[in-house]
Amino acid sequence: MATYDFLFSSLGLEDWCSEGKSTAPMSMAQLLARARGDEADAPGSVWDLPFPSMDALNEACPAFPQSRELTKGLEEGFLNIKDSLSVVLDPITQPLSWFLDGALYVMLNTPWWLVMPLLLAVVYLVTRSWRLVGFVALSVLLLAFIDHYDYAMQTLAIIFVCAFLCVLLGVPIGIAMSRSDLMQRLTLPVLDMLQTLPPFVYLIPLIFLFSVTESKLYGIAIILYAIVPVIRLTDLGIRLVDKDVIEAADAFGMTPRQKLFKVQIPLALPNIMAGVNQTIMMSLAMVVIASLVSAPGLGVLVLRGIRNLELGVGLVSGLGIVILAVILDRVTKASLNRINAAQKP
Amino acid sequence: MSQEVKISIRNLYKIFGKEPDVALEYVRRGMGKAELLERQNHVLGLRDINIDIREGDITVIMGLSGSGKSTLIRHLNRLIEPTAGEIRVDGRDVLALNEAELRQLRRETMSMVFQKFALLPHRTVLENAGMAMDVRGRKLDDYEQEARRWLARVGLEGQENQYPHQLSGGMQQRVGIARALVSNAPIMLLDEAFSALDPLIRSDMQDLLLELQAELKKTIVFITHDLDEALKLADHLVILKDGEVVQQGDPQHILLNPGDPYIVDFIADINRARVLRVRSVMTTEFDPDAPYAGDLAESDNLETVLARSGGDTARVFRVVRDGRQVGALAMTDLTRALVPTAASGHRHT
Repeated sequence: MATYDFLFSSLGLEDWCSEGKSTAPMSMAQLLARARGDEADAPGSVWDLPFPSMDALNEACPAFPQSRELTKGLEEGFLNIKDSLSVVLDPITQPLSWFLDGALYVMLNTPWWLVMPLLLAVVYLVTRSWRLVGFVALSVLLLAFIDHYDYAMQTLAIIFVCAFLCVLLGVPIGIAMSRSDLMQRLTLPVLDMLQTLPPFVYLIPLIFLFSVTESKLYGIAIILYAIVPVIRLTDLGIRLVDKDVIEAADAFGMTPRQKLFKVQIPLALPNIMAGVNQTIMMSLAMVVIASLVSAPGLGVLVLRGIRNLELGVGLVSGLGIVILAVILDRVTKASLNRINAAQKP
Repeated sequence: MSQEVKISIRNLYKIFGKEPDVALEYVRRGMGKAELLERQNHVLGLRDINIDIREGDITVIMGLSGSGKSTLIRHLNRLIEPTAGEIRVDGRDVLALNEAELRQLRRETMSMVFQKFALLPHRTVLENAGMAMDVRGRKLDDYEQEARRWLARVGLEGQENQYPHQLSGGMQQRVGIARALVSNAPIMLLDEAFSALDPLIRSDMQDLLLELQAELKKTIVFITHDLDEALKLADHLVILKDGEVVQQGDPQHILLNPGDPYIVDFIADINRARVLRVRSVMTTEFDPDAPYAGDLAESDNLETVLARSGGDTARVFRVVRDGRQVGALAMTDLTRALVPTAASGHRHT
């Protein structure tokens, strides 16, 4: 006898109940209970009244689904659509694999004495600051000296590709959001979800969809995680553009297109760049987690440190990540400051 | 002066709110601004505006904040859509224009100067001045000379490659004016263009505007809340209150015949001797052979006449245009004109 028998009998559903049999696998608790042999639970006092949850109702009526069937149903549903989903998603995302593999190949197969000066040249181009160039040079030399150069370059290559794609996709989405309130209302919950879902959670369906050997698996995980700030700040930046300047643009007869490219985007640029900075930092955070799904780079070493309890390996690679983070942050912030200086209100 | 009407505004209404058409009916039946806000939750922006803006004139629209003057000027290039009414520029119905035609109008027929300058902060002064040309798709090389010429004309020679934030407010507004001039549009709209500037710089800018106007003869619509500024610039003065035209006409005429207690209050603090001019107080019936104390021009203000009379109220001056006498001004008439007028009760338009 279960607690909620009366519910089904009063509704006249006994026949339906006795017909059905839950197909859910037995839970660990049930197995243990059966092993102990105390299956018949005596109707106790009000203190023991169970909440009418799916499992409790199932006890009274076997036809009622158990909560385990919910997760099982989800899983089966996903597996059912997985094949057709892959047919669509695979070709769309294939270029991501090529980009990532290409970037990794180029980074690792170009000799260090070419990559390093190139990297420093880029730093100088975007920041125009010799101090920062010196700092980056020292950091990279240090990483190379302790034989972490390859790992660091792998991480950098992945971040470059993913952050670039984030900007490529995120800025147009942000622009669309800034132009239509409906679009904003629809997109914001998705962004909120992407930002709050623990990254491990969306690794799971990705593993089902793509094979772990494909680089796009971690590419997608990183992009999903890191694209949010650039979208949000593009939207915000364009919405914050001085109304007076927009009015002037209208008064001088700019087309919407001219307004976007000559006024809104340039004036939103400081905010967009702040978004890019955040996106790059979040890519770095995710690339470490993505080493769980075979992303190469410093994250692999961190993972090794955890798995094998190799404290030194973990600490040194962790330090490497910190150095990379500082480099990326300083360089993007310096270029952001250059933009800010060029257009004070 | 009987120039052509460049912009004509007829029965223009603007009501802000969710259902302006419903509210419009109430307004047409005579509901006031306060009542409309309280009962219908709509804001009355403009009520039954009728103005003729003549070619080559400076038409000043004056009113305190909330009087609807900025709303009104934004109707001329449809930055704000009216609820009802008609606006014609060169006889063409502005409200009937489609998007492309409206852009054309904004690019080629009207230019605008803003209270907060509204320059592009990421462009140089030169590029800002050439904005109207840039919008039309012209290249910098193409309009650079034109932009430099106007920048020099407004006194910004040598600053072409600076950015707006490196300039003072007055200089930024000079860029704003140059920008409007480079567009070469026959109509210039100035929305409280000098209100954000210091008094001295404001006076400089007013002089600059008058100087440019003497040369260019554009049709200028100028919005201000400052009566001194309005009287200094206006050929035609329109006074707005709560979205309605209280009185409009020649500023001298308004000063001498205020049609409303509101305007009497307004002009009470004005230095009448400085604002009133000989032509508004002289008589055109005169005896050419009478003994005159001296010659005056029509545009002289009464302050200069007072100074010349040395305080002698018995004198009579001759008013001369192009060497020919057109009127006479007795000091007694002048003194009478300086007495502040009470509201004359009926409306002059």
